[in-house]
Amino acid sequence: MKQRGRRARTAARSSSHGARAERLAPYVLVAPAVLIIVVLRLWPLVLGVNFSFTGDGELNGSPVGLSNYLELAGDPLFRTSLRNVGLLVLLLPVAVAIPGLLATFIYLRVPGHRVYRSVYFFPAVLSPVIVGAIFNLMLGFDGPLNAVLGSIGAGPIDWLGDPGIAMFTVVGVHIWATFGMALVVFLAGFSTLDASLLDAARMDGASLRQIIWHVIIPSLTRTIQFVFVTTMIGMLTSMFGLLFIMTSGGPEGSTYLPEYYIWHQQGQMNRPALASAASTVLFVVMLVVGLLQITLLRRTGRQD
Amino acid sequence: MKQRALWSALMVAALAVAGCGSAARTERPPGDSQQKQQKLVVWDWKSGEPVAAAYIEKAKADFAKRHPGVTVEFVAQPFDQYYTLLGTAIQSSKGPDVMLFNGGGQIRDRVDALLPLDQYVAEDKSRLAGWDAFSKDGKIYAAPVTLQGHPIYYNKTLYEKAGLDPANPPKTWNDFVSGCAAIKKATGAACFALGNKEGFGIQFFMSGLGSGVLTPQEYDDWIAGKRDWTSPRVKRIFELWKDAGDKGLNNDGANSTAMFTDIFRVFETGKAAHIIGLMSDIGHWKDFGEFLPPDKIGVMMAPIVTDGAAPSLPYDGGIGYAVAKWTKDPGLAADLVRSLTSTDALTAFYSKAGAIASDTTIDVSQAGPAVATIASEIRTGKPALHVALSSKTLDLMGRLSQQLLSGSTTVDKAVEQVAASDRES
Repeated sequence: MKQRGRRARTAARSSSHGARAERLAPYVLVAPAVLIIVVLRLWPLVLGVNFSFTGDGELNGSPVGLSNYLELAGDPLFRTSLRNVGLLVLLLPVAVAIPGLLATFIYLRVPGHRVYRSVYFFPAVLSPVIVGAIFNLMLGFDGPLNAVLGSIGAGPIDWLGDPGIAMFTVVGVHIWATFGMALVVFLAGFSTLDASLLDAARMDGASLRQIIWHVIIPSLTRTIQFVFVTTMIGMLTSMFGLLFIMTSGGPEGSTYLPEYYIWHQQGQMNRPALASAASTVLFVVMLVVGLLQITLLRRTGRQD
Repeated sequence: MKQRALWSALMVAALAVAGCGSAARTERPPGDSQQKQQKLVVWDWKSGEPVAAAYIEKAKADFAKRHPGVTVEFVAQPFDQYYTLLGTAIQSSKGPDVMLFNGGGQIRDRVDALLPLDQYVAEDKSRLAGWDAFSKDGKIYAAPVTLQGHPIYYNKTLYEKAGLDPANPPKTWNDFVSGCAAIKKATGAACFALGNKEGFGIQFFMSGLGSGVLTPQEYDDWIAGKRDWTSPRVKRIFELWKDAGDKGLNNDGANSTAMFTDIFRVFETGKAAHIIGLMSDIGHWKDFGEFLPPDKIGVMMAPIVTDGAAPSLPYDGGIGYAVAKWTKDPGLAADLVRSLTSTDALTAFYSKAGAIASDTTIDVSQAGPAVATIASEIRTGKPALHVALSSKTLDLMGRLSQQLLSGSTTVDKAVEQVAASDRES
């Protein structure tokens, strides 16, 4: 009796020990990941936000309150860069529609669709620097594109030198360079499409436009949303290389984006604190855009 | 969700109130210099280039003679990213012992991180030219390696084709413009090769032609920091820039042509008769030599635009080596800077790269008329106008210059904005 009692007590103790270990195990296991995020992501972020409230040059290290942010608000260059972010958002439907439409044609097996599939993807493997250099040559004032325009009687266009055109040119090149990825995602989406629906629509005598509008687009809602989100992120985060090579933010500062502005202030103007403030603003903008997109995705997820 | 928002708001508020720490690292007490330093690290963007190899070798040899036990490591950084990388090094007060700088704004913005060199380079002061570009508030922060300036190069072949005398380039702006018209008619070449994609074109233009516009007194005042932005002559420089664009003196697409280095090809290939180029690095007589033989390249003084102007060659110290404040043995690092500016090393740099070196004792008589003209003007030359402006003002001026060319702003508005930026800094 006595023996059994002791054994039970030991078992109870070891099981409570085991329970505690089991309770702690998840924390221990996620600790490395959390630590990496905290030390390498969140802490620098906090430092960056902190720096944005300090001064540059002679005021280095001393708190200056919101003066960096006020300077940003008063800097037409920074305002242009934010306006250009707005422009990118407006151009997003175009950037999604192009790969969507081309993927549709490939799916519908237009003649030569195999060739197109690989050709469309090809630019996606080129670095922005190479793409930028190629298009710098193509779009130069005395470049081949203007020569072609000239031969059909149209006046030369200063693709990269006209402030009203340059941003559209760069976005156009960015879309050209990156739509291959979106195209692949669309093709993957198409592979889940129910072929019998298409056949049924065809039997009912639907035109191509009707098939696209009433069958393909509704079936691909989730793919389209995914492409929207990834294209948006791509546009907001990976235009730097192209801008750097193609326009250097010019002409007249018309192609500045926040990223380029941050680089310019930190590297060229020696204003790290001001650059930190601009980074913080960009972070907030991205946070808002990201949260909106997550809400959007969640809402559509619930519908299914 | 609400709670999270509250927390973030609290954190931002706390940070705003605190605002401590700094974006650039605050000064650190100098390290332990007792232990003898065995290695010096040099950052630049030149040492990787084949034309600079002989120069670096000569400098290294000179230094090794004086300090046999010390190794020197040259780290060639890409120029595009150079000041970004340097900025990071300065923030952490760690990095190279010796580093290369462009004269003017680039070094003056960063003197907080540099060691004053006056006591170390006293012996070199009369031998080398171009110290001003590396000085701030009376202290020298780097020793000049090259002289950088903005001579007006012209293509003698095009002058001959247009029936002009290549030995006697025009002395006044009116003659210059009518000469350009003749060249355009005879050869189709533009008057100026202008690349303003980066907004650098106006800097070259202002410095290249400025001495033909301002009076000597105004010029000296400008350099000394007493810039009278209401002066009609200062405004005339910007009017001249706009006129040159409006009257078609520039090549087409100036705002989308890169100064580095597309525009130099335009001049070399005879598509433009003049270019306000450089004396060192690139865009100079030797660089053009790939297509234009040296005897077909001339250098002219700025044509006189307004009466009372006295044209002079605009030049400053081009690039120079500086010593970081955090180096362990300042004397050793300064000695390396002296080796990098020794006559032997600079002679090698001049003969291989064609750069106009800072050493005035180098013989340049063999290199053709352009270099001879430049060398003869060094004595009477003055610092370039744009170098006196802060990098922020230059940045703004670059964008405004593009607006002036495209017609989206007026000269008055542009001068007003540049003036405001200049007064602020």
